[in-house]
Amino acid sequence: MTGLDLKPMLKPRSVAIIGASRDPDKVGHVILQNYINAGYSGKIYVVNNKADEIMGIKAYRNIRDIKAGIDLAVIAIPAEFVPDALEDCGKAGVKTTIVVSGGFAEIGKNDLQERLVQVARKYNMPTLGPNCLGVMDPRSRIDTLFLPTYKLSRPSVGGVSFVSQSGAVGSTILDLISSEGFGLSKFISYGNAAHIDEIDVLDYLMHDDETKVVIMYIEGIRRGREFLEAAKRISRVKPVIVLKGGKTAVGMAAARSHTAALAGDAQAYEAVFRQAGFIIADDISELLYYAKIMESEVPPAGNRVAIITNGGGAGVLATDAVGMSGKLKLAELSKKTIGSLAKIMPSLVNVRNPLDVAGDADEKRYGSALSLLMQDGGVDMFLVIALFQTPGADSKLAARLVDLKQKMEKPLVVVSIGAEYTKMHRIIMESGGVPVYDSPVDAVKSLAALYSYYTLRKARSKSNV
Amino acid sequence: MALLDYIEAQKLLLKYSIKSAPAKYVSTPGDAISFANGRRIALKGISNKALHKSKAGLVRLDLVSDTEISKAFSEIKAIASKFAPYKILAQQMSTGGVEIIIGGRIDPQFGKLILIGLGGIYVEAFKDFSLRTCPITRFDAEEMLAELRSGDVITYKGKNRSGMINLLMKTSKMLNDNDWIQELDLNPVIVKPESYDVVDIRVLGD
Repeated sequence: MTGLDLKPMLKPRSVAIIGASRDPDKVGHVILQNYINAGYSGKIYVVNNKADEIMGIKAYRNIRDIKAGIDLAVIAIPAEFVPDALEDCGKAGVKTTIVVSGGFAEIGKNDLQERLVQVARKYNMPTLGPNCLGVMDPRSRIDTLFLPTYKLSRPSVGGVSFVSQSGAVGSTILDLISSEGFGLSKFISYGNAAHIDEIDVLDYLMHDDETKVVIMYIEGIRRGREFLEAAKRISRVKPVIVLKGGKTAVGMAAARSHTAALAGDAQAYEAVFRQAGFIIADDISELLYYAKIMESEVPPAGNRVAIITNGGGAGVLATDAVGMSGKLKLAELSKKTIGSLAKIMPSLVNVRNPLDVAGDADEKRYGSALSLLMQDGGVDMFLVIALFQTPGADSKLAARLVDLKQKMEKPLVVVSIGAEYTKMHRIIMESGGVPVYDSPVDAVKSLAALYSYYTLRKARSKSNV
Repeated sequence: MALLDYIEAQKLLLKYSIKSAPAKYVSTPGDAISFANGRRIALKGISNKALHKSKAGLVRLDLVSDTEISKAFSEIKAIASKFAPYKILAQQMSTGGVEIIIGGRIDPQFGKLILIGLGGIYVEAFKDFSLRTCPITRFDAEEMLAELRSGDVITYKGKNRSGMINLLMKTSKMLNDNDWIQELDLNPVIVKPESYDVVDIRVLGD
């Protein structure tokens, strides 16, 4: 571990909330309420300099009065009192802290932030923030977000860790993740990055076995070269998908060289992400659908796609998307596969790739086609279009696809386009571990990202960079 | 930030075995004619006050006869006198290839960056370039070429790929070794199926 140790922050045995309040409008109240709602099973301490008891929990005037080991202190008090509270945490032997409060460097109060950093360093006490949402870990049931659970749905348990500089973008994406077909490992909102920054977070997540995929929202980085090294380290072992805010910055005005005119700040960030082997997302939806495929899929052996569809038009769109991806191609089916398919498919089915199993296809026809195609060594990945508006497609098809997916050793994604009835089946398939997309283009882009990431990772490890 | 003298810049490139078109300062039309010695040359007015030579009207290309050379010399002299002090550079013409740009700059966050792209008059029009932080590895150089839409054109469908990779790696080393370089343009570099010529150099430094 090269960075600061964040384990006591994400897997704390005991938590103190400094600034916990009786007033439901106060941040400190929501945080305490959320701890209770989330079912956190460790010890909760409450610190408030006026009250004796909050929500039935005994309140201490100062953290130093607690006289017990504390893994994490969450600080939600006005900024000017934070350095002293942090000093008290240090003296009380607190292992890690999260400063939720704003009012530091983001409004020009650099001195106050510098004092906070000095205290954190003095006690070697990893400190997250200030001006952040803190952390969430659905396994340890830790949730320091000051956003009520009825307003912001919490994601289920899974393998995706989400790192966000911004609290607002962070909580929005978190809300969206809760309705996506993948679960959360950790959420870390690091705000002003005064002490713990993105490098510490990446190093921690790299070694965290519960994290399979990392998604990141970044606006700016301070330790540029060290970031590149940390980014390269983690990309070698797990995929990182990055969305960068603030891309519109253009090249330097009145540049003296062509190079400076072409390559501005935004281009420099993109170059660093590419050099590190990150997957670059252009917007929030790309961030989510790349995360979905990366979490559930195995590395593909190659870039040859087989398409199976119960709608001709959707198959054409998917074929076009494969052609335009520049990375994937349509698989050429073996003579043996074609022969076997011709025997079992109805005569109206034209046996080729894309395979249009026709509008009346049911789960049996999909099942027999996929079972044959799975055996074809010329196919590396599957794009299955299942349109639930057709007569043959119902819950049995959704269940059959989940079943086939579990037997599959190759990547498989499903495209289902439609409203309420389709959404219901999408949930069935996604809870069974099948990534489902609304459009053939998004599905193909995701398969291409999966292929590119693993191909580059392999090439990098070969050339040892 | 100042512009490094052209001949000094050539010497710097040569230390990293980056070849540029043979060039020499000339002070009279006669100097230029004897430098040409029957071959095609270019004449360029060089001044710290006119970083964009073509835009300032300080470049004359493809000169061969004595009269062409003399005429171009006096035209450049007339314009360059407005940007004094100046020098006039005679350079052997390199023609017929694909024009690319190789460049560098210092990013406040990530340090030295290296760039390759379609060059010459196409730089602004197509903005087809790729970028990395220095030093680059061979893998990075390969990736940079693969990212370009014009990759196949620049490498002649792979024929000159290893030449371009070597050029990128040498430039990266030069940028990395010389902290004082703030900005670099090798633009254009004329790429041919089996070789290349750096035709214009701009090194800005402390």
